[in-house]
Amino acid sequence: MIRIHVTSVPVDDQEKALAFYTEKLGFIKKTEIPLGEHKWLTVVSPKEQNGVELLLEPMAFAPARVYQKALQEAGIPWTSFAVEDLEQEHLRLSGLGVQFTMEPKVVGPVMMAVLDDTCGNAIQLVQML
Amino acid sequence: MKTKPTTFFEQQLEQVAESSPLKAYHYARVRQSRAFMERYYSRRVNLDTIAAAAFMSRAHYIRIFQQVYGVTPRQHLRSIRIEKAKALLKTGLPATDVCLEVGYDSLPTFSKVFKDGTGHSPRAYQKANKSNPE
Repeated sequence: MIRIHVTSVPVDDQEKALAFYTEKLGFIKKTEIPLGEHKWLTVVSPKEQNGVELLLEPMAFAPARVYQKALQEAGIPWTSFAVEDLEQEHLRLSGLGVQFTMEPKVVGPVMMAVLDDTCGNAIQLVQML
Repeated sequence: MKTKPTTFFEQQLEQVAESSPLKAYHYARVRQSRAFMERYYSRRVNLDTIAAAAFMSRAHYIRIFQQVYGVTPRQHLRSIRIEKAKALLKTGLPATDVCLEVGYDSLPTFSKVFKDGTGHSPRAYQKANKSNPE
């Protein structure tokens, strides 16, 4: 049976991304495998360490940067993470200096916010209400 | 006070929200029913009871819930039970006890639902998570 094993966010600097995704967002580093000038670098949620891995993928393909930049400028999230209490998480992350391009707001059945991951992406946080 | 959307994404969200055929009370009621499921997942709750908690008929409730969350109430209740079961299995509680704790009377039914939801039998899941305690 096919299953979803990994998903990715493109990042301009893997070390900077690892610091942001672990020290700010709270993920844990899972794999780090050298691959030429870059590496296969994944993080997981501390609550689901055997769950889907997030690949911090080096943005080495120049045309893709155009797409990433356009998304970021429009505030369109590259991906979305679930949280249990968005207001609390927003407070925590703001305290750590994380910038939000959209403050928490209720949209239908969810509350959502969008943050800047400092690596070129808007990232959405969602709480199911 | 409502703040002005600052990004294209936020503007799109507002447009979608404004064009939704669902009213604020629909969201409020299904949220209430979702909270009801979170609270009473361990009991033998049926759809009529859950719909009543949302002040809707069964058929109307199922339709509105699916419009709001994209899954049926039954699928959602099953997901809640699987998540609770995963947490209990990690504590080392036997699968038979976990089965009853999350609202199933039959171990084979629970095992099938759990395997469909996680890819593992309850015992295999427990074993895997015991051997990887972090």
